Amino acid sequence: MTLAALTKPWAATSYGFLDASAKRELRRKMLKAIAVPGCQMPYASREVPMARGWGTGGLQVTLTLVNPQSTIKVIDQGADDGVNAASIRRFISRVSGAAETWDTLDASIVQSRHRVPEETMREDQILVLQVPNPEPLRGVEPNMSIARQMHADADYGRLWLTLYEQLVRKGRIMQGAAYPSLVNGRHVMTPSPIPRWDVPKLNMARHLTFLSAGREKRLHAVPPFTRVEPLVFSDRPYRVEDHADLVCRRSGIAGYFMNEIPQDSGGSVFEVSDSNLGIKAIRRAEGEAVEIGATWYENGEYSA
Amino acid sequence: MAYVATRGGEKAIEQAERLFRQDLGTIDAARVEAIRQSMPYLVDRVMGEASLYDEDMAALALAQTGGELSEAVLVLRAWRTTQPRLAVAAPLLQEDLLTVRRISAAFKDIPGGQILGPTLDYSHRVLATDVLEGKPYNPPSVDPAATAAPMRQPSLADWQRQQGLVAPANDSTVAPDDIPDLTREPLLFPASRAHRLQSLARAETGGVLALGYAAMRGYGNAHPTVNELRLAEAEVMVRHPSGTEFSAGRVRVCQAEVTSKEKGGFLELGFAASFGWNEVKVIAAATLDLNSAEAPVGSPVHEEFYLSHTESVEASGFCIHFKLPHYVTFQSVLDAMRDAKAKAAAAKANQDVAVERQTEPAE
Amino acid sequence: MLTVAPPDAAEARCNATFEALMWSMARPGDVRELPEAGLTSIVEALIDRECVAYADSPDLSRQIADTGAVLGDPATADHLFLDRLEGASDALAGIRCGSALYPDDGATLVAQVAHGSGQRLRLTGPGIDGARDMALALPAEFWAMREQLCAYPEGFDLLLVDGRSVIGIPRSTQIEVL
Repeated sequence: MTLAALTKPWAATSYGFLDASAKRELRRKMLKAIAVPGCQMPYASREVPMARGWGTGGLQVTLTLVNPQSTIKVIDQGADDGVNAASIRRFISRVSGAAETWDTLDASIVQSRHRVPEETMREDQILVLQVPNPEPLRGVEPNMSIARQMHADADYGRLWLTLYEQLVRKGRIMQGAAYPSLVNGRHVMTPSPIPRWDVPKLNMARHLTFLSAGREKRLHAVPPFTRVEPLVFSDRPYRVEDHADLVCRRSGIAGYFMNEIPQDSGGSVFEVSDSNLGIKAIRRAEGEAVEIGATWYENGEYSA
Repeated sequence: MAYVATRGGEKAIEQAERLFRQDLGTIDAARVEAIRQSMPYLVDRVMGEASLYDEDMAALALAQTGGELSEAVLVLRAWRTTQPRLAVAAPLLQEDLLTVRRISAAFKDIPGGQILGPTLDYSHRVLATDVLEGKPYNPPSVDPAATAAPMRQPSLADWQRQQGLVAPANDSTVAPDDIPDLTREPLLFPASRAHRLQSLARAETGGVLALGYAAMRGYGNAHPTVNELRLAEAEVMVRHPSGTEFSAGRVRVCQAEVTSKEKGGFLELGFAASFGWNEVKVIAAATLDLNSAEAPVGSPVHEEFYLSHTESVEASGFCIHFKLPHYVTFQSVLDAMRDAKAKAAAAKANQDVAVERQTEPAE
Repeated sequence: MLTVAPPDAAEARCNATFEALMWSMARPGDVRELPEAGLTSIVEALIDRECVAYADSPDLSRQIADTGAVLGDPATADHLFLDRLEGASDALAGIRCGSALYPDDGATLVAQVAHGSGQRLRLTGPGIDGARDMALALPAEFWAMREQLCAYPEGFDLLLVDGRSVIGIPRSTQIEVL
């Protein structure tokens, strides 16, 4: 072994930004995450040129996967041109040479904050979800070491109790986004703060999902054809947001997750949250030949 | 395409960044050099929190972020993380440090002597406003001591160990090359001591001060006495693949040892060290280390609490991430809240009906 | 728009290798193509000085040592690279299976195994739509040993290589010997 064997010609930035050893660590952890679906795997989580909490976990996974043949879609709140989505997509493309797209159908990797696209993802696609807090037990147990022991013991009693208390006090489970879900019948995970609308899309899906929290240094995965079951009581079925009948004011499409836009006159109008689905619907209505893929929801109803 | 035109995120972020950079103006080597020369303690702080010892890079980071400290640390760490690790330096021994300042509050005098070195501790903190009136401040020169202080100083804790005041040091069974590296593996709890001290070494100065101060004020059970505080330069000794050991250069380092009450017949020691000269940080950090052993879970002096919350890049990043849109999660919460309200209203209506029925005359 | 140097051969190879390994683990039983035959590209993509690895061949042991990884025995290694599984049962009896607290401490066992011959198996579990039948030439006693060691989520994960083909069998897969 020589020093020269350990080095390489100087370059300001490695391909894909992360250096080889960071990528190898992520590869090892991503394989383990697939092997134990829904189980949080600790990783070193290198710094990247973005602030923690801004998608650095998702970014590290994407940078490990990406190659010049990849096509990248990045969304924030469902929108491709949200400021942070634009920033992340531009960075990935600059350090990898991957193509950029807004179209879910064209993407090989979809990195997302808070949404799963409405068009059904295929078996060759990877969804990378940015995760602010990977620990579904944080609300009942802020101490990480104790929470980890609870996962080890499959001790989810306190989580169930919280949900039960909400039912008793409020008449329903009040959990908004990030609905805790049991994966492969063993580990409770947070699906990241996606709305309840999106959680069924992870259950027995065709695509592979990675969920990565850079700041908290944990990643977990949901492989294809893996059970993801929201925690519910058998006599109180899981309920997604009541958006089935809302109509997008711009594209006219209905039956998808919507953004509510308050109006000066009082009341609200709605816009479809998956912004590129809305754009495609508008273009199609204007007579363009635009392909819109099958969607997980049809007429506001989830259809597996 | 009106749908797109109302957003335009990519142009907006580019222009926003331009606005920030335009305000800072041209950054050239002279500006970087001026920062490095005139702000050594600021450069030290950034190098410590970034865990990268490179004064030029740290000064550059300060220049291009306009001194926004958390941004400077982030940009330096992001550069650091891409660099290959070629070698592992030999551990430093206190008695090998080229010490310029070394004091103890535990004894009036100590073997090797108290050496004040460079400090503002006993200065009067008066602004030199004359400078703004066009009268430059020229520091008076230092009168050399009759005999120069020795370059190297013994460890006070070693003397205390010989006296039986401090427990014998545990001989580490970990090979120097295998000391766990926080930048390559996640921090898990309970943390190894190496990880705890590394995490404190790169912790955010203000955060460590806040929690260390909390410990000093009574949220910890140990009131620190500074056993030994050192500012020094250290040789970075590495081994060439051929086997020879050589110094790759010198770095400024600081360390603090604090002690408190007796435990098991010995004085307990808390320790912290960092790149650069940053006394307040290492004293506060050593105090946290000292308090860790018996800290209740969830208290500010428990290691999971203080290590998680003094990580500069994580804390600042998460704080500013709340500026990002959260309207999807908010929508989800609104949906649950409206439904719960509707349910409550319906339940109340039912109850009212039931009450009305009861008041009807029984027939 | 690429603003850094394009991937060099090693980077491209490691990326392609990992893609094959990832999909093979995500879809147990699917055959994926490695950029090169054998185990060397897997060592290159996964192993470095943070690892403890074991190999049963001198060539691979040398390659592992050159990455800076610690050469361990089968009981301490986080990655094991075996040219032959025959006769390895005793060595594998102590393979790392992690703990319920840290399932990721379970080892990855990479082995050269002929695909499409040997015992008929039925695979079920995550990544598999229903069930999947296939033949793999592993020693007869292997699956009983795996069953005994893997108390999910504890366990070890398998990457079975035949030439350039790789099949992944994570610990989450249930195996029925037909």
